[in-house]
Amino acid sequence: MTRYLLTRLGQALVIVILVTLITFVILHLLPGGAARAILGKEATMQQIAAFDHQMGYDRPLWEQYALYLRRLVGGDLGYSFQLNQSVTEAISQRLPKTMLLSVASTVLAVVVAVPLGVVQAVRRNRWPDYTINGLSLLAYATPIFFMGLMMIILFSQVWPVLPPEAPQGFTLAEVLADPAGLVLPVVTLAILTVAVYSRYIRSSMVDNLNENYVRTARSKGLSESRVIVGHTLRNGLFPVITLLGMYLPALFSGALVVERLFNYPGMGLLFWQAALKRDYPILLGVTLLISVATVVGALIADVLYAAVDPRVRLRAGRA
Amino acid sequence: MEAANQPLLRLRDLSTDIALRRGTVHALDQVNLQVGQGETLGIVGESGSGKTMTVLSIMGLLPTGGHVVGGEILFDGRDLRGLEDKELRRVRGVEMGMVFQDPLTSLNPTLRIGAQVAEPLRVHQGVSKAEARERAIEILRRVGMPRPDKIVDDYPHQLSGGMRQRVVIAMALIRSPRLLIADEPTTALDVTTQRQILELIDDLREEFRMAVILVTHDLGVIAGRADRVAVMYAGRVVETATTAELFRSPRHRYTEALMRALPESAQPDSDGAGRLYSIPGLPPDLSRPLTGCRFAPRCQFATDECRTTDVGLTPDGSGTGHEFACLHPVTGPVTIAAASPSVRTASEVSDPLLTVRDLVKEYDAGGTGVRRTAGRVSAVAGVSFEVGPGETLGIVGESGCGKSTVGRIVAGLEAPTGGRIVLDGADLATLDRGARHRMHRQVQLMFQDSYAAMNPRMRIDSILTEPLEIQQVGDAGARRARVSELLDQVGLPRRALERYPHEFSGGQLQRIGLARSLALSPRLIVADEPVSALDVSVQAQVLNLMRDLQRDLGLSYVFISHDLSVVDYMADRIGVMYLGKLVEVGPAHQVVRAPRHPYTQALLDAVPTPDPGHAPSPDTTIRGELPSALNPPTGCRFRTRCPLAQDICATEPLLQGATHQVACHFPLREEPPAS
Amino acid sequence: MTAVPHEEEAPVRGMWRQGLEVFVENRLALVGVGLFVVLAIFSFLGPLVYRTDQVHTDLAKVFLLPGTEGHPLGTDGVGYDQLGRLMLGGQTSIVVGLAAGLLATVVGTVWGAIAGFAGGWLDAVMMRVVDAMMSIPALFLFMLMASIVTPTVPMLILIIGAFAWLGPARLVRGEALTLRTREYVMAMRGMGGTGGRAVRRHIIPNAIGTVIVNATFQVADAILYVAYLSFLGLGVPPPAANWGGMLSDGLSDTFSGHWWLLYPPGIAIILIVLAFNFIGDGLRDVFEVRLRRR
Repeated sequence: MTRYLLTRLGQALVIVILVTLITFVILHLLPGGAARAILGKEATMQQIAAFDHQMGYDRPLWEQYALYLRRLVGGDLGYSFQLNQSVTEAISQRLPKTMLLSVASTVLAVVVAVPLGVVQAVRRNRWPDYTINGLSLLAYATPIFFMGLMMIILFSQVWPVLPPEAPQGFTLAEVLADPAGLVLPVVTLAILTVAVYSRYIRSSMVDNLNENYVRTARSKGLSESRVIVGHTLRNGLFPVITLLGMYLPALFSGALVVERLFNYPGMGLLFWQAALKRDYPILLGVTLLISVATVVGALIADVLYAAVDPRVRLRAGRA
Repeated sequence: MEAANQPLLRLRDLSTDIALRRGTVHALDQVNLQVGQGETLGIVGESGSGKTMTVLSIMGLLPTGGHVVGGEILFDGRDLRGLEDKELRRVRGVEMGMVFQDPLTSLNPTLRIGAQVAEPLRVHQGVSKAEARERAIEILRRVGMPRPDKIVDDYPHQLSGGMRQRVVIAMALIRSPRLLIADEPTTALDVTTQRQILELIDDLREEFRMAVILVTHDLGVIAGRADRVAVMYAGRVVETATTAELFRSPRHRYTEALMRALPESAQPDSDGAGRLYSIPGLPPDLSRPLTGCRFAPRCQFATDECRTTDVGLTPDGSGTGHEFACLHPVTGPVTIAAASPSVRTASEVSDPLLTVRDLVKEYDAGGTGVRRTAGRVSAVAGVSFEVGPGETLGIVGESGCGKSTVGRIVAGLEAPTGGRIVLDGADLATLDRGARHRMHRQVQLMFQDSYAAMNPRMRIDSILTEPLEIQQVGDAGARRARVSELLDQVGLPRRALERYPHEFSGGQLQRIGLARSLALSPRLIVADEPVSALDVSVQAQVLNLMRDLQRDLGLSYVFISHDLSVVDYMADRIGVMYLGKLVEVGPAHQVVRAPRHPYTQALLDAVPTPDPGHAPSPDTTIRGELPSALNPPTGCRFRTRCPLAQDICATEPLLQGATHQVACHFPLREEPPAS
Repeated sequence: MTAVPHEEEAPVRGMWRQGLEVFVENRLALVGVGLFVVLAIFSFLGPLVYRTDQVHTDLAKVFLLPGTEGHPLGTDGVGYDQLGRLMLGGQTSIVVGLAAGLLATVVGTVWGAIAGFAGGWLDAVMMRVVDAMMSIPALFLFMLMASIVTPTVPMLILIIGAFAWLGPARLVRGEALTLRTREYVMAMRGMGGTGGRAVRRHIIPNAIGTVIVNATFQVADAILYVAYLSFLGLGVPPPAANWGGMLSDGLSDTFSGHWWLLYPPGIAIILIVLAFNFIGDGLRDVFEVRLRRR
């Protein structure tokens, strides 16, 4: 088990380093060079030269990368001249809010998707399966912002029970103080996730229901519900833990769109505003951070999976 | 047998359908069976005969789309079909127990052994967790599990196949069932393990006074274990009798054919090679309406009457309960293994075609990623043998003994770690690239599962042409001619060329596989379990074909199999492997009838013979499990399980002798003087 | 010795024929093909019949209601005819979707195949690169790229294709790894066949099904990505149009009651994405059934 942990940790570290390499490369692809892109069009030649020297952009590339890494490790993601704020500070204000949105919608999605997927698997190729499958395909095919708009029209206009805009607040507590405003963003983000998860849970459950051990369980005279809850559900849901990790990039992409649609003050909105203003330090900082979050999330999911599933746990322990 | 007049379970005209996307398969058609308390009923039949569907119908475990559509399942006088769901589950969960074919997949991989074994108690009798655990340990001990108090907390994948099957049996027994159903319980296991499991079921039946239904394709298993037998064919019971009676005088033509097709009953023919009786054709498609005797299309005694009248089971009049459904029954006795073993005269003193010397193959154990010091698996450890031109060398051994690895190395698919292979005078290690490439013309491999060994997206013509293309033999026209010739040789119609592998049956695929091996006119064919996946009647077809071709083409075979009777039939000489070592090699009839190595003896005794009078001696049973090849025992590798082992066995015995060699410090017999 | 083949000879049919039969059996797949054909004809042949000016704005004719003379679906905020604009937008969406999906599939297949066959070090390095790129959420990357270069149609294809290949790469590598160990590849080596032949004759023909199925889903995803980029303000600038862009423009008009600017492009996107998903499911059936034994 420790060996597995170490291997997996090493892998994650390599990936993080590669991600920093990618952002570093992008930094140097920026139009007009890194300095001009960061300082803006009005910067004078002197300012740029001074900045280049200060950041070490006049040194050899590998040295620049080493400097870049050293700054990252020290928590320095750069400085946004447009926001007049350090990138780290700008992000740390918004990161908790994005996490709130992501976690809440994931929890909601799992709670909804598990029963749906199980019902589909148990009643496979019958109307409940077809209906749910049709709905999740529809949800998958609908651009998430269109879906969100439908929700706004339905629940804020036709039947006005919820506010159309996310709670505005500087801190997490302020956002949490207005739970009604959270409903639509969280639900919208969850719908897409449900569509993906329920399909996955269905196929995982179908695979398990076809296994021989299910027949053995039935031969003991167990009721169908006991066979499903006591035997297949456990085995069918273990792999879902890894799915949680694998789905993170898509979840964050979705959060970006949802934050923009509901004007939710998270990292996605920050990123979007930065993209329109070409605020590259913010863009790169957010990209880097969100990627690291993805890697860490996937790592946690894998480790968790290995810890709970005896098949993996013991195999990993023995090797 | 005293309780047979009051059967515990009785099937009356049981019919089962399975609805598939295209049409309905009538898997069972009016099946009649009964089994009494303390009795073992054997159900025997080939794949698709409905034997498994019968027991699944009883247990209510039919696959999706399966339904019992007619008849009665009378258990203790009550028709299970009439019971309500809850009661039905109780009856099946408490009064019946079932053991399945594949122990590797029939346990839940994520639940502890104890929890699974004791689950029926917890559910049906509301036993407390602590007590359930105690009862599980107790029953695990009873089925012969070593250290049951530890294993109870293990997960299934920590156990070997044989151990898992014991767990499944324990799970069935913990409810003290009145009926135990075992569906091919030992098919996935090695013979020595098979013997242990079958003996266990026998003992338990007596102890618990259960009725047992033993479903199997293996007449040998039936002969040794069942009181009565029902023979099934194409969804029907065609004959039922006491075991002794059935094997003494089978009446149905199908039963007769089945027995004659066994390698044990090979009749010597002109060249002394012996020929197997084979049933032509394939069983009927059960999704179509059938009239008359279902075996008629394959039966050489069938008349027009057979094809039109539906014959039910009728008693033979002897009052012993022998019933059969045949208009032209067998009248005389059928004998198995009566013919004296054909001693094949191998071509004497010629230069061997293949010489293998001190062959060694080792693998790294699980070496991925960071370097691990797990050690090396010793798959083959110093094996030497020869194969003469036109000769068949059989290699037998249980799974994991390294026999397939030897085959793959000889066929040039893997490089040996050490040792020499000389083919037709050329040492393979010294060959240059071109010569190595051409070497493949001399030796070809035939696979166990030809379907897996054929690219599913290639038509048969491309499959058969491929070896010719690779070796650049002839032009397109010549290749076409060669492929047609090959099809003729293996007895398949030319139409087969345009079809894809999935359109053929198992036996036909083995023929195609054989044709492909023959394409380059090799001198040696390494056949790795070529008939293990086939039913007896089809197996006979393929074995006959292999021998015909050997005679006509002067082929040599290395015939690898776990099945001693098949190897005995096919081989001139037999080599026995155990854990990477060749422990005995000699003329086939001597190895099989006068083995010198204790392991060979144990292997032979474990093989169930289709002769109810045959009782294996109890003292040759080997106990315990095959040691790991990761850290094999030093010296004689069999010594950890050998009844004769002494201190000296810690030094390695060498293969000694003239023609019948053995690697043992205490051989069972002296080598017979050369004749 | 007579071998009796199947009792009744099934007619000899080619693989494509059999595949087609299975595909046709899946009614949703047919619906998918039908939808795609209709939408493609609408977008590409429609403008030949129904001519509109999609270059010059006409501020005299803004927000005309559907059914207005000459404008069955009304006009938008700068006076473009909505029906004609839908056709134009469809062209972009379909072209970008197909091209990006194709690009991603080709790049991914080559990358995954090389990694899978090479194995060892090269495989490890190549797959870590894939892992790294995959851990950057796609939309963030697309926006980052789109903020650096001006998004034109070819640029969109390039950007989406350049990052969407990761999925196919992983898939193909996995396929290559399993196919490499199949017994028929072993049988071929036993005849003296080389690695190149294994790839050409055995691995590619067997992996191609998975790749094709995945490609259809890639197309669907690419169309959605274009929509997202447009929504986030980094789509193709006017007078060019795509359904995603029209839909996001329509969002701001919803509350002023201009529903005809919102629903038609929204429904069009849903339909085309569904179409490709249905086709993909149907193709999956085809490739699976062909392998299933009887």
